[in-house]
Amino acid sequence: MPQDFRFIDLKVNDAYTNMAVDEAITKARGEGRTPDTLRLYMWRPSAVTLGYFQSVEDEVNIEALERFGFNLNRRISGGGAVLNSEKGEITYSVILREDDPRVSTDPVESYHLLCQGIIEALALLGVKADFKPINDIVVAGKKISGNAQIRRYGAVLHHGTLLVDFDAREMFGVLKISKEKLSDKMIQQAEDRVTTIRRLLGRQVGFLEVRAALEEGYRKALDANLIRGMLTPYEEELVKQFRTRYESRDWIYRR
Amino acid sequence: MLKKFEYKVPGGKLLRAKLETTEGRISFIQFTGDFFMDPETDLEELEARLRETPAEPDSMGSVVMGFFSEKRTVIAGACATDFVYVINQALKA
Repeated sequence: MPQDFRFIDLKVNDAYTNMAVDEAITKARGEGRTPDTLRLYMWRPSAVTLGYFQSVEDEVNIEALERFGFNLNRRISGGGAVLNSEKGEITYSVILREDDPRVSTDPVESYHLLCQGIIEALALLGVKADFKPINDIVVAGKKISGNAQIRRYGAVLHHGTLLVDFDAREMFGVLKISKEKLSDKMIQQAEDRVTTIRRLLGRQVGFLEVRAALEEGYRKALDANLIRGMLTPYEEELVKQFRTRYESRDWIYRR
Repeated sequence: MLKKFEYKVPGGKLLRAKLETTEGRISFIQFTGDFFMDPETDLEELEARLRETPAEPDSMGSVVMGFFSEKRTVIAGACATDFVYVINQALKA
């Protein structure tokens, strides 16, 4: 029987608010003060988010980041640096209680389960995608989605990004993927390792079409009865608190 | 002088160790990378435990292995022996 899930529909925020919202829902869910939640969101301005254990100096070309006018932030989850582009991707989060019987204690199984909504969404769009352990979704071997999970406050936060479009100059301008100087040849090699919905379908797929596929994909994958909702006043209060931390230099540059 | 070693775990994630030694002991150590750890606060605790440890492979290795087995830390994309490996390689750098 389908289980109720709150669905927070696509909204655009800056990086600090986006990460604060994910953490606020996670805390409230762990405390039993909010329901299981699926949230879709986008970023403006574009931002690089680092994994919790990454260092700014190893991963980010600050000069390019400032030139593009992008934000920089650090997630509470591990994993790699991501360019959350306002033009090219949709981000999603799924928040469940940590003791939810659907969530395995094994990290890879847990990723597999919570990535399934993306695989279903891509299938609805006509793209056959596969889960690639530990935390990626690939199409014919090329990455289209990266995911990260954290267990905190008694809840599991699974968040990730789905590439709709891709600007190699931006992505490899701001992310340090090699000590070598950025060259066209390198962009080509890196570009060959990722793909996007627009590239695969050969048309200008709109964000609303992808949004609808994600909603339906997660509904199927989680056997969920999605109920449109918004943040509770308690979560809004937490967002304000957490946002202050996310935009602090101490947090961003902690490694 | 900061010593650094970077290692892509086969089938896993990137793991780096950065360390400094003073009079034969670790004065600074930091691990970075795109691995996952639960709870994530264990990494800072491990770094704290390694500070002041004699900067030689046996001492460092036993601290790391003892720490992860005691804490039962869940690591994805790397394992305890990978942490020992990057420390040893950074010490040689």
